[in-house]
Amino acid sequence: MAAPTMEERKACWGARDEFWQCLDSHGDDAAKCEKLRRAFESRCPQQWVKHFDKRRDFLKYKKKLETEGYHPPEAAGKS
Amino acid sequence: MWPRPFPRWPRPSRYFRLRRRRRGSGGGGRRSQVSGRRSQLRVMLRCLRSIPRLCPAPCPSRCLPRCRLSAAPDTPPLPLRRRLAVAGAAAGAAAAIWLYLRHEKEQRQRSRRLAELRRVALGQGDFHLRDTAGVERSKADFLGRWVLLYFGFTHCPDVCPEELQKLSRAVELLERDPALPPLQPLFVTVDPERDNAAALLRYLRDFHPRLLGLTGTTEQVRAAARAFRVYVSAGPRDADGDYVVDHSVLTFLVDPDGFFRDCYGRSRTAEEMARSVRAHMDAYEPLPPAGEE
Repeated sequence: MAAPTMEERKACWGARDEFWQCLDSHGDDAAKCEKLRRAFESRCPQQWVKHFDKRRDFLKYKKKLETEGYHPPEAAGKS
Repeated sequence: MWPRPFPRWPRPSRYFRLRRRRRGSGGGGRRSQVSGRRSQLRVMLRCLRSIPRLCPAPCPSRCLPRCRLSAAPDTPPLPLRRRLAVAGAAAGAAAAIWLYLRHEKEQRQRSRRLAELRRVALGQGDFHLRDTAGVERSKADFLGRWVLLYFGFTHCPDVCPEELQKLSRAVELLERDPALPPLQPLFVTVDPERDNAAALLRYLRDFHPRLLGLTGTTEQVRAAARAFRVYVSAGPRDADGDYVVDHSVLTFLVDPDGFFRDCYGRSRTAEEMARSVRAHMDAYEPLPPAGEE
């Protein structure tokens, strides 16, 4: 499977950005953005979809850290 | 209090008048005391000047130090030009010493830095890879040129295209200045299984025209990544056999002697990179061959 070209990459990124904008405006409610999610998944390779999902989670976590600060998890295995 | 010699000299009348005036005001605050002291100082100096009338001529030996003091207005001072020449010579000597010491310090810093670079020995290990034309390339082929080297792979979702865009832009900015030495951008793939020469050519045509892609066998690529301490880890494959490779995102700057000079991460912009490379180029001095250090 050949790597995506620059045009395909840009189409994928555009779809991803639209999907993320939809999520931002609907408070991360994936149910409201089904159509954009499908467009996103069709334009991007599967691995990239997974990668971008993880990236979104990371960006939200980072924002949470920046605004709320760090709260260590209570059920920590190691002491 | 007054210095001791004064009471022994005949006091001119002006001195007495001032002293009486000061006693009269008596403790009238610090400022009047300070101004009182100043005027007394002035009187003291005037008294010194008036001493020639008191000294017999020629000056006996016991008067000599004071006479010399008071003789100042009669003999002409050293000409201004000579004084300036002496001061200038002293300043010049001080400046020369300072410059010499600074030069020595810079030399020592440079040799210390070189010793550090050699010790770190990053990128010292040679790489043996193949470029997109199928030609075998090693580090020796790029000696004499500055190299900006990026490790990535063509199936990269977003990071590698962004970084390559930055790299291309930085090289473009530096190419605009004809006085700068030539700079070779390199792309080394961390995914040799999928990124053969054709894939690299297809991928890299979207970026700088001189950006050269390098690939090879898995062992060769692994050795090159190890030489630059680049972390490479292929992810799990999905149903299509697709996978992403996790890797450190760094652009390395290597000087014409093959030494690692600097690395740029995701936070640096293209302009910052160009500025930094230019600074390294300006500060660069060719090394003497290793035996002569």
